[in-house]
Amino acid sequence: MKKIILLIFLLTSQLSFAQTTVSREVVGRDIGQLKGIKISGRIIDEITGEALVGATVTIPELDINRITDTNGAFDLTLDRAEYNLIFRYVGYETVNYPITAVGDGRISVRMIQEDFQLDDVVIFGRDPEKNIRSTDMGAITLSMNSIKELPPFLGEVDIIRSMATLPGVSQVGEASAGLNVRGGGADQNLIQFAGAPIYNPSHLFGLFTSFNAEIVNDVTLYKSVIPSRFGGRGSSILDITPKAGSVAKWGGDLMVSNYSGKVGFNGPLVKDKISVRGGFRGSYINWFLGALSNPDLKNSQANFYDGNLVISAPINEKNEFTYSYYTSYDDFAFASDTTISWKNNSHSLNWKSQVSDKLSFDILGYYTQYDYSIFNRSGINDFDLNSGIKDFGFKGYVSYLFKEGNRITLGADTKQLTLQPGELIPAGAEQDILPKKVQDEYGRESGFHFQHEFEIGEKFGMSYGLRYDTYQYYGPRVVRQYEENKPISDGSAIGETTYADGETIQTYDGLGPRGSMRYSFSKNSSVKVGYNKMYQFIHLISNTATIAPTDVWKLSDEFLKPQIVDQLSLGYYQNFKGNIFETSVEVYYKDIQNVVEYKDGANLILQNNLETELVPAQGKAYGVELYVKKNLGRLTGWVSYTYSRSLRRVLTPYEEDNINDGEWFASNFDKPHDLTLIGNYKVSTNTSVSATFGYSTGRPVTYPEAKFDYSGNSLAYFNRRNEQRLPDFHRLDLAVNFKLKGNAKFFEGDWTFSVLNVYGRKNPFSLFFVDESGQPPQALRLAILGVPLPSLSYSIKF
Amino acid sequence: MKGASYSINSEKSEIRNNRNFFKSELLSPFNWKSKATMNLKKYSFLLLLAFTACIDPYVVEVEQGAQLLTVEGLITSVPKVHQIRLTRSDTYGSVFQGLIRPVTGATVIIRDNLGNVTFFAENAVDRGAYDSPASFAGIIGRSYTLQIQTIEGRVYTSLPERIESAPPIKELTYQVVKIAVEGEINPRSGVQLIASIDDPADQNNFYFWRNDPSVYVLKTSPELFTPRPSDSNPSRDPQPKDCCSTCYRTELVGNQGIFLAQDDNFNGLNTKIAAGFIEDDGLRFIQNYRVDLRQISISQAAYRFLRLVKQQTEISGSVFDPPPANIKGNMISLDDPEEVVLGYFMAGGEQGKRIYINGADLDFRQNVSIIPDDCRVVEGASINPPIDWNP
Repeated sequence: MKKIILLIFLLTSQLSFAQTTVSREVVGRDIGQLKGIKISGRIIDEITGEALVGATVTIPELDINRITDTNGAFDLTLDRAEYNLIFRYVGYETVNYPITAVGDGRISVRMIQEDFQLDDVVIFGRDPEKNIRSTDMGAITLSMNSIKELPPFLGEVDIIRSMATLPGVSQVGEASAGLNVRGGGADQNLIQFAGAPIYNPSHLFGLFTSFNAEIVNDVTLYKSVIPSRFGGRGSSILDITPKAGSVAKWGGDLMVSNYSGKVGFNGPLVKDKISVRGGFRGSYINWFLGALSNPDLKNSQANFYDGNLVISAPINEKNEFTYSYYTSYDDFAFASDTTISWKNNSHSLNWKSQVSDKLSFDILGYYTQYDYSIFNRSGINDFDLNSGIKDFGFKGYVSYLFKEGNRITLGADTKQLTLQPGELIPAGAEQDILPKKVQDEYGRESGFHFQHEFEIGEKFGMSYGLRYDTYQYYGPRVVRQYEENKPISDGSAIGETTYADGETIQTYDGLGPRGSMRYSFSKNSSVKVGYNKMYQFIHLISNTATIAPTDVWKLSDEFLKPQIVDQLSLGYYQNFKGNIFETSVEVYYKDIQNVVEYKDGANLILQNNLETELVPAQGKAYGVELYVKKNLGRLTGWVSYTYSRSLRRVLTPYEEDNINDGEWFASNFDKPHDLTLIGNYKVSTNTSVSATFGYSTGRPVTYPEAKFDYSGNSLAYFNRRNEQRLPDFHRLDLAVNFKLKGNAKFFEGDWTFSVLNVYGRKNPFSLFFVDESGQPPQALRLAILGVPLPSLSYSIKF
Repeated sequence: MKGASYSINSEKSEIRNNRNFFKSELLSPFNWKSKATMNLKKYSFLLLLAFTACIDPYVVEVEQGAQLLTVEGLITSVPKVHQIRLTRSDTYGSVFQGLIRPVTGATVIIRDNLGNVTFFAENAVDRGAYDSPASFAGIIGRSYTLQIQTIEGRVYTSLPERIESAPPIKELTYQVVKIAVEGEINPRSGVQLIASIDDPADQNNFYFWRNDPSVYVLKTSPELFTPRPSDSNPSRDPQPKDCCSTCYRTELVGNQGIFLAQDDNFNGLNTKIAAGFIEDDGLRFIQNYRVDLRQISISQAAYRFLRLVKQQTEISGSVFDPPPANIKGNMISLDDPEEVVLGYFMAGGEQGKRIYINGADLDFRQNVSIIPDDCRVVEGASINPPIDWNP
C-alpha cells in the first residue's frame, strides 16, 4: 500500500512545474565525517507555518525518495557529498534545495502554495485534520474548486445536486431541486445565499439549480449539530457564500454550453479598497425549441436567467462590508396559452469586523422575495394567479476568543415574513370569473443564541449552545373556528374571528439546545456525540413528492403547529496516511413532530382554509452513514454509503383522517440504501476524467389494491400509502475536462465534455397507473433521463 | 352480411398519446378544462429533455385484488329510465388478471326522505344494471338513499343525497380545439362544448356535465365496396352497392374526460365553462352533429368524489402529480362497517341543452374518413333521421 501511495505521489508531484531554487547550503558541523551523516528536516507551509504531511523529498543523485511524516519531518542518512534535494508537495511550488552534507544537522524548508489551478487536486482546505479536531458534527464544506471536479449536469456543475452525493443527503429524483437531509422534507433545509434565504433555487422545474458556480466561494452543509446561530429549519442549513472580486486587477470569465451561457467579470472599483464581481447566466433553450418541428414544442417557450452582483469593501484590515445581490427568473409557456413564471430576488449587506485579536462581530441585513405566477390566456376564464413570499431580516453575533479553541458567540436575529398564498385576477374582456384572494399571512420569527466552544487539553473538546426561538403570527386575518372533538373540515366550521392589523393571533416559542463533544484518541482519530433541537415555523404545502414551483408556503398558525426536530448523532472519525484518507461513520436518530401530511385528494390551490386539507403527522428517521474520502493525489474522490429510514405516521383521534390505519409508513423519500462513488483522475496536468456512480433503493410508491369501473373509466383503488417501491435507481455519469493554461497570448480555457446516464438506464422517476383507450389499465413509468445525455461546455478566464 | 363490418371506436376515444405533464388542476384552479384539451399542454416540461425523457409501460406485480362492491348510480330530476350499475372490483391490470363482473340478482331500491320507495329492476340484457321505471324523476329538495341487498343477503346503503335545482344552460356554444401529436404532421382535433350559465348567487353550486346519445349524419361510399376475395368471388375490383351513402348514426360519446365545476370562482356571475369534448374522427363533422348536453347539480361530497376520479384519470407521473388518493364514496355496508364499498350514488337536478354543430362552420376538420360500404352496416346507423331531427 505504501508503495502505491508513494507511486501516486511521484506521479502527482510531476504536476508541479513552478519551481524555486535556493543557493547551495552547507549542512552540518564539519567534523570530517564521511559516511552516515544524519540530516533531519521539516517542511512547513511558508504562510501558515503548518507542517506539510506527505511531502516528497527526492535525492536524484541516490535515487531516493522520502515522505514526510505527520509532523512534516523527514530523516536522511547520507555520505559526504553535494546533493540536489527536491521537495515536492501537491499544490505547492517544487523546491530545489542543493546542499553539501558535511555533518549531522537539520534543515528547514518552507514551501509556497501555487496558484489555485493546482489546488483542484486537493479537496481539503488548509486544515486537513479539521474533521478530526473540530467539535462540529456533520458540517461539510465543499469549495467550489472541488465541486467543479464533479461531472457537470447539462454543461455546468450544480451545487445542490453535488450536495446529494454526500452521505445522508438525497434527492427524490432527477427532476427535483429539493434535498432530503437525513429523512427530512425538502422544506426543512434553509438554503441561504450570502446570508439571505432563497425559497426556490431552481431552474426549469428543478432540472438544475439557479446558483452560478462562478460566483460561489464555498458551500457548507450543516446536517447534524447545527450551530446555534442558525435556526428556523428542521433538517439542515446550506450556507452558500459568494466570492468577492479581486481588489488588484480586472478579470472575467465566459462560458458556453449547449444549453446555456454565462458571462462574469470582477475587479477593483477602487483599487485595493472596493471590489466588484458580477455574473449573468441565461438559457437559449427557447431558440432550441423554436427549431423543432413539433407544433406544440415549437410554440412552447422556456426562459431562464440568473444574475449576481457582489460588492466587497475591505475598508481596512479589520472591517469589511459586503453587498450581495442575487436574482433568478424562469418562465415557461405551454403550446397554447398558459405561462408559469417564478423569480427570486435577494439583497444582503454584511459587516464583518475584527475589533481586536479576540473580539469580532458580524452583522447582516437582508431582503428576499420569491414570486410565482400563472397566466392563463386560453380565451375562457382568462386569469393571472400570483403568489409569493417576502422575507426581511437582520442578524448579528459577537464572538470572543479567550484563547485558541475557546470561543464564545452571542447573537440575535429577527425576520419579518409576509406570505401571499395566492391571488386570482380575472384577465379576460368578459367578466366571467371572480377575483379571489387567499388572505395574506404575517409572521415574525426571532432568535437569541449563545454558543461556547472549548477544549480541555488535546483530547477533549466541547461545544454547547442554546437557541431561543420565538414566533408570532399576527393579523389582519379572519380565522375560522371549528367544533371541538370533530375533525377539522368545512362542515365543522362554526364561526369566524377577525383579527386587526398587527394583532397577535398565535405565538410559539421554544428552547433549542445544541451540543457536541469530541474525544480524540490520537491526532488521527476521534469520536463525537451531538444533540440538536430545531424549530420550524414555515411549511411547504405541496402535495407532490418534491419541490415544485407551484407549491405554496404556509406559516404556522393555531392549527398548524411548528415542526420540532430532535436529533441525536454519534460519529467516529479517522484519517489515514497523513490525512490523505478521511473516513467517518455516523449514526443518527431523529424525531420530527408536526410534519404536514395531506388528506386524500387534498385541494391546496387558492385554499383559504388549508387546515381543512391537512393532517398533522409525526416523523422519525434514523440511519448509518459511512464515508471514505481521498483528499489528494492523482485520484481523488469519495465513497459514501447510507443506510437510513424515513418514516411518517398519521394518527389522529378521528379514524377517517388516519393514513394507513395510523401505522408508520415510509415517507416519499425513504430510500434505505444509498451509495455514491465519486472519482476524479488527473490524466495529465491539464486533463482530468471524473465519474459519479449512484445507487439507491427505489423510492416508495402506492400500488392499486384493485381496479373498478366508474363512468367508463377503469379506476385504481388505492388504500395503503407507500407500501411498494420503484425499481432501484442507479446511474453512471462521466466527464472529461481539458484545461488550457493561459499565458500572455491566450486566455485560460476549459473544455468539458460530459455524459450523464452513460449506460442509458431508464430509472423511473415515478410509476403511475392509467386506463388508456384500447389498452388494459396498466402501470407506466416515467424516466426523466432515459438515455445517455451528453453535454459540452467551453469556458475561458481572462 | 357480406364484407367487413366497421366499428367506430366511440368509447374512450380519449386523446392520450401524449401526457399532460402538468396537472390541469395545478394550472387551472377550476375544472373547466377537459382532459382532452388539457392534453394540449401535455409533456411540456419534458420538452426540455425531449430526447431523454420517456414514458413506457412497466410490469408490476400486483397482489390479488379484492372483490369489492362498486356502485355507479345517478338519478336526476328528469323523468326517464335512471340506472344504477353494480359491479365487483378485481385485480388491477388487464382482463386476464381480473375481470370486473356485474353483480346480478340484487334487490335495488331508492328511498326518499318522505319514505317513498322506488324499485329498480335488473336489465334483462345488460346484467348488473338496474333500471328505474321510465316515469321516475327525483324531486328537487328531497333526499334520496340507495339501498342494496345482494343475492348473498348483504345489505348496503348510501348516505342521503339531496337534489338541488340546476340552473339552465343559457347558451351552448363550441370551439375547435387542435391537439398536436408528436411525430404526426396533422394534429388531432375536436369540438369543445362551452356552456354559458347564470350562476345563482345565493347558493353554492357544483356542476357536472354529461352527454346524452348524439346523432350525426354519416357519409359512406358504397360505390367503393370491395369484398374480400373468395373462391366464389375472386375479383379484387370494387363491386358497388346500390345503397346507401347517407345515414343518421346515434352514438354515446362516452368518457371524454370528466367535466366538473364549482362556483367558488364565479358565484353569481354569467360565466362560460368547457363542458364537453367530442373528438373529430373524420366522420362526425362531415355535415351536422347533434349533441344533448346535460347539466347536473351535484352535492359537494359528490363533487369531491368526481374530482378525485378526474384527478386519477389525468395523472401523468410528473413531479407535480399528487400522490394516489383513496377515492372514498358514499356507500356503506350495514353488515360490516369496515367493509370497503367503492363508487358513489348521486342525485341531482338536471337541465339539458341541444346543439347542432354544422361541420362546415368548423375552422378545422380532420380529413374525411372513407368507409367503402353501405352506411347501414355501421353500428347505430339508420337511414331515417330521428323524428325530432331539426338542424
